[in-house]
Amino acid sequence: MAVATKLQGTTADASHEDLVARTRRRRRIESILIDKVLAYGFLIVMSIFALFPFAWMFSTSIKTPQEAFVIPPRWIPHHITFSAYRVFWDTHAANNNNIARYFLNSTIVSIGTMILSVLIAVPAAYAFARFIFPGKNPFFYIILGRNMFPLVVFLVPLFQLMATLKLQNNYFGLVLAYLTFSLPLAIWLLKGFFDNIPVELEKAARIDGCTRFGAFLRVILPLTTPGIVATAIYSFIGAWNEYIFATTLTSDPKLRTLPVGQAFFLNENSSQWAELMAVSLVISIPVVAFFLLLQRYFIRALTEGAVKG
Amino acid sequence: MAEVVLTDVVKTYGTVIAVDNVSLTVEDGEFVTLVGPSGCGKTTTLNLIAGLLDITSGTIAIGGRVINDLDPKDRDIAMVFQNYALYPHKSVYENLAFPLKMRGEKKDEIERKVRAAADSLGIKELLDRRPRELSGGQQQRVALGRAVVRNPQVFLMDEPLSNLDAKLRVQTRAEIKRLHRDLNATVVYVTHDQLEAMTMSDRVAVMGGGTVHQYGTPLEVFDTPADLFVASFIGSPAMNILRGTLQQDGAASVRVGSSRWPLPQRLSTAAKAMNAGPDVAYGVRHRDLSVSRTEMPDSVHGIVYAVEPTGDITFVHARVGSDAIVASVEPDVDLAPDEDVWLAPNLDRIHIFDGVTGLAIRDKITSPGQAPRASFASEAMAFEDLPVAPEVPSVTGRE
Ligand SMILES: Nc1ncnc2c1ncn2[C@@H]1O[C@H](COP(=O)(O)OP(=O)(O)OP(=O)(O)O)[C@@H](O)[C@H]1O
Ligand SMILES: [Mg+2]
Repeated sequence: MAVATKLQGTTADASHEDLVARTRRRRRIESILIDKVLAYGFLIVMSIFALFPFAWMFSTSIKTPQEAFVIPPRWIPHHITFSAYRVFWDTHAANNNNIARYFLNSTIVSIGTMILSVLIAVPAAYAFARFIFPGKNPFFYIILGRNMFPLVVFLVPLFQLMATLKLQNNYFGLVLAYLTFSLPLAIWLLKGFFDNIPVELEKAARIDGCTRFGAFLRVILPLTTPGIVATAIYSFIGAWNEYIFATTLTSDPKLRTLPVGQAFFLNENSSQWAELMAVSLVISIPVVAFFLLLQRYFIRALTEGAVKG
Repeated sequence: MAEVVLTDVVKTYGTVIAVDNVSLTVEDGEFVTLVGPSGCGKTTTLNLIAGLLDITSGTIAIGGRVINDLDPKDRDIAMVFQNYALYPHKSVYENLAFPLKMRGEKKDEIERKVRAAADSLGIKELLDRRPRELSGGQQQRVALGRAVVRNPQVFLMDEPLSNLDAKLRVQTRAEIKRLHRDLNATVVYVTHDQLEAMTMSDRVAVMGGGTVHQYGTPLEVFDTPADLFVASFIGSPAMNILRGTLQQDGAASVRVGSSRWPLPQRLSTAAKAMNAGPDVAYGVRHRDLSVSRTEMPDSVHGIVYAVEPTGDITFVHARVGSDAIVASVEPDVDLAPDEDVWLAPNLDRIHIFDGVTGLAIRDKITSPGQAPRASFASEAMAFEDLPVAPEVPSVTGRE
């Protein structure tokens, strides 16, 4: 009897151990499959998808005009030339476009838009998040409602407005135009970040010795830095990439921004693909650099909202 | 010195009256609790004292100075919040140091005070951590630490224990009480948990609908509730409240349905003197009802509905007519559902309230609180059939 149970016990144990071993093996394979193969596979596909345009831009920028049209297209041209990059210092090569100047214009306008957006959106968003005032909701919906219309709807009215205000061919005029789309987004984004911060933190700070503004500076601002940085980047990129407003509101070649200037490489007389791609590549650099430098904040803003725990 | 005096304080949000004419004096060194159901204006009152909200009308004075127009930082108060409100971007050390730093204290002085506070609260190992790396109980301690480190005149606490588990809550309750004693500080404490209110406070302000219904010691609000609201809010399980009509003919009683609940002559006289009735509410706590299987004088017939042993006391839920009544008996009493029982209220310890105004009807000479509590022996002699739960000084210790 005792022997029988013992025997039974051991067979049961054996099959149990077998099951455990098989389960472990299966989990190991699963974890390799999921963690390594699937995750990396997906990341590689996404990276190719994202990098392809850059690679193609670069490839085309070092081709001769003839080779740019060869079919089938070649990744590595037979004849490599960097002459397209002359456009950055040689206005003649650039079809009389002063690309360096455009770069400066773009930088001024984009940074201006970024700074003004943040300076205006932070207090506005804070007010929407924290204060109770008459008309608060209607105001907020009006601001958000701006995003429901395509940009071109505002093109003609803005053009006439800027003409009346004598703000055509003027950095500030362009910045003002850009604020019409960057501010609503910035306010909406930032309000979300402020909403996520418990009011009690400010109350605690005020009791601990801060004024209302001091509490904002010492407690709220540090906690919303990731959100503010993310918002600033959005505003910058929006302005940096913008084409329609820039081309409508600036007729003076000296005030062209990069996207506008870049378009002059394709016209009825010629198609300077290599030059176009060289400029495109350079246009992307600040955007990519921004993301690389500040991705830490960006990811924190996206994953955390503002404060956890 | 740091007395807190609220005079006719009103706070409205648009049309909502959150705090309605509250007058309250918290003596120096006193521990006062604002207790009441959710939404009754406790937090609002506390925030008004703190200066975090603008007062609509009335005055608040701390230490003899009216502080209506002072910023929170100039009121010399500290506050502990329900969600602790620790600064997430600062270490525990920096959290504790912040109020001192804001007051411009010297670095070594700050260090000394922070270490002392951390020591006394048992959090000195945590000083380098961020709040999110702490457990709820540890965060709570840091929040307390940030309040005590500055040695303010008045502590304001808004439900500081409600996020802790039951065991930690009991422990921290005792610690806060001890802290109050050691610091000799004035504390205004907010909770919706009446057990906390009763166990911790020198005095309790029972709030409802933005007003203070009663302000007194825990035993006062328990034994002599000023109105129906206080009677039904304080005590667990709640006082049995029966709405009926006052019968003045013959032996005074309150008729509820077909039952007659006995009334002592003094209350009947008081009702007459106050011109109250005939609509009244009859109130009796579970432990003031004797339960018997046989009919007794001045008793009411009921049927056992459910029996709930809790270990040290057994609750008997009974139906009297259409009313549900809770009484309590010793744990060894063996009652079964659907049994006939007779419930005899302790005439010294019953309450009646005006059916319209809800105010307590009370004779000036012997209000129930001053009446001697019936001793165990005398009740046991009267109703030999079933022993009755003995009086326990702890008022709501049955949760
Ligand atoms: N900012 C506000 N705007 C409008 N009404 C408010 C505001 N804050 C509070 N109230 C109202 O004031 C009343 C009292 O609120 P309060 O927060 O003081 O209640 P409480 O007693 O602390 O409740 P709880 O126990 O739930 O914390 C409630 O009716 C509430 O809805
Ligand atoms: Mg509250």
